[in-house]
Amino acid sequence: MKNTLRNPYVYLMFIVPTLVLYFLFFIYPMLQSVYYGFTDWNGLDEKNFVGFENFVTAFSDEVFRQSIWNNVIFILFSVFIQVPLIIFFAILISNVTKLQGLYKTTVFMPSILSTSVIGILWGFLYEPEEGIINGFLGLFGVPDIYWLAEEKWAMLAILITNAWQWMGFFIVLILAAILAVPREINEAAGIDGATAFQRAWYLTVPLIKPIISVVVMLSIAGAMKVVDIVLVMTDGGPINSTEVMASYMVHESISNGKYGYGTALSIIIFAFALVLTALYQLTIGRNQERIEY
Amino acid sequence: MKKNLLMLLVLFLACSVVLAGCGNGNNGENAKNTNTANEPKAEEPKTEEPKAEEPAAVEPFTVSLRHIQIGDAQKNRKAILDDVVKKTEEEVPGLKFELDGVEDSVNRFTKLPAEMAAGNPPKIFDLFGGAGDALKFAKAGRLLDLTPIIEELGIKDKFLNLNQFTLDGKVYGLPIGGSSEGFYYNQAMFEKYGLKVPTTWAELETAAETLKKNNITPFASGSKAAWVPNMLVNTLIGRYAGPESIDGFAQGTAKWNSPEVVAAYAKYEEWVKKGYFTKGELGKEYADQMNEFVQGKAGMLFDGSWRSSVFKDEAQAFALTNKTGYFAMPAVDGGKGDQTFINGNYSNGYGFSADLKENELTAVKAFIKNLFNEEMQLRGLLEDGLLPSIQLSDAAMGQATDPIVKQVLDTYKNAKGAFSHFDSTIQSDVYKETEAELQKLIAGKTTAQKVGDAIQKAQDAANAKK
Repeated sequence: MKNTLRNPYVYLMFIVPTLVLYFLFFIYPMLQSVYYGFTDWNGLDEKNFVGFENFVTAFSDEVFRQSIWNNVIFILFSVFIQVPLIIFFAILISNVTKLQGLYKTTVFMPSILSTSVIGILWGFLYEPEEGIINGFLGLFGVPDIYWLAEEKWAMLAILITNAWQWMGFFIVLILAAILAVPREINEAAGIDGATAFQRAWYLTVPLIKPIISVVVMLSIAGAMKVVDIVLVMTDGGPINSTEVMASYMVHESISNGKYGYGTALSIIIFAFALVLTALYQLTIGRNQERIEY
Repeated sequence: MKKNLLMLLVLFLACSVVLAGCGNGNNGENAKNTNTANEPKAEEPKTEEPKAEEPAAVEPFTVSLRHIQIGDAQKNRKAILDDVVKKTEEEVPGLKFELDGVEDSVNRFTKLPAEMAAGNPPKIFDLFGGAGDALKFAKAGRLLDLTPIIEELGIKDKFLNLNQFTLDGKVYGLPIGGSSEGFYYNQAMFEKYGLKVPTTWAELETAAETLKKNNITPFASGSKAAWVPNMLVNTLIGRYAGPESIDGFAQGTAKWNSPEVVAAYAKYEEWVKKGYFTKGELGKEYADQMNEFVQGKAGMLFDGSWRSSVFKDEAQAFALTNKTGYFAMPAVDGGKGDQTFINGNYSNGYGFSADLKENELTAVKAFIKNLFNEEMQLRGLLEDGLLPSIQLSDAAMGQATDPIVKQVLDTYKNAKGAFSHFDSTIQSDVYKETEAELQKLIAGKTTAQKVGDAIQKAQDAANAKK
């Protein structure tokens, strides 16, 4: 038995089938799709190798540039508006003593609904004539806003819906971190005369920094790959104003039958996401020291 | 003890693998069941009966059939298809159709192209004719050549028009019916405001203006998907630039930025500016414009003749049941060419996978025989208001008593000819450009002249490719 385990071929015997499977189902399709990105394949005819043409086209493609910008808006909105709100609500809920479970469940609820359901639900809310949002704004004399039909509003409408869907999930995540902070620290500060705001700002937030960092990173990654909510609510319209990189890729490759070009776009998206998360990890993420209580 | 634990673990893993396998099998079955859950199951025992009688035992087989007859507005069409399916199953031993209903535009723009690319389309599927669909798939060898089959069945010369399915003299699809597009109008509303059924351009614009003044949307529109407003643009171009312009774009004999085509876009732009279309139309679906119209919020609706059956069904048309009229687009001032032409299309029908086994081919032949015949075509006309794609006798056509269908047929009679949709004559890249530019025009982001220039640029690029 001992000799068998010392024999390198035994290890090989165990590893090779796994490697073959891994190559067959993960590496090979990936390489293949990279290859498609360099062709003008339309899904039906012969593929022709066209070099970097697709990538050049992508960056001179007005709609794709618009969709990159929309992804950036998604990222900025999540990091600078969503995350602070998430922390605010988490601290708020952590201070509630009665019915905390109810609040937790309520804010978490949207995260368990499917995006299609949420998209359709919010479509009703945004309905210009009968929707509740315009109904409410109408009380203050605001004229009907065509949320999903006007370029200047559509993106905001989607951002709000997307935030509504995911905030609860992150709130619960941060809430768990807050509740893990020993009560005594907070109480001691209270005895020293720190106000609720001071305790939140100088104690709670610094103590949960690592988890905030994770939430920020997840938000960035989520904003990079956002697509379903756009497809359900506006399908990239009106006039491509809400098109994000992934939805544009879907439209180009499937609806327009440009599989080669679509694959090139997906490679670009992959590269962007990789670079962004790596940058974040190397700069902000790495500087997080371990916090021990 | 440890050994036992290990054994247990291995056993557990083995079991879970086996179970996972079972799970998949079941899932597959369930998926199939849910797909067919809405289909009548009554025929199932029938297909089994003959098997019991003749022990020669035919091998049972299934043929997948993709259709787009889902929802209320299509229920008459679905009933006809169901009957054809039933009859075909009775005729072909062992055959069982597996119906798969998919929404029209999802099938046309998402599902079918993906399946075609992957090389696994259903055996029978709903198919549009023209350069963007049927002819593209035919070129790639994905569609069954139907020429020998329709010759064998003796129906080759009965079809009114197979142009959009014909490539190099071979037929790759069969249109289920014909269609035209025109204005539906709310008769009660027209009466209330003393409006005439427009026969001239001036009367049409007076009607629109009067409705607008009374806070009623003149033309219900849902332009989230741009093919919907493109129907109206298509007919405007046929009027302003003449019927032959539609075929001329791809041939290079007509230009999108010529004054005539720009005039058509300018008319559309003018109507947009005057507020003749639904507010916020870029956020509304195709179905929304029908809702707006039947709810009496809009006076007119530009739509296809395929929608006419809605207006005789109280469950769908409500107060408008049998109170809707139809008229073709009147002649425009200064329009080129014959102004009586209507847009006429024989473009939606069925296509068949090129990859068929012997028994599947038998099923396909029987399906074609049962669906594309005078009896079914007449049923389509009478029950559904669908214009036939096969020549029917005058006596048969005379049986159509539904007022809207009669009006649609009258517009055909009064027309000297028909022009098709440009989505079946121009390349798909160019068509996408027409959609993008039209939505910009609706949003007030561009002008008619710029629209023409932009589309011509795309047309030049597409024409240069071949």
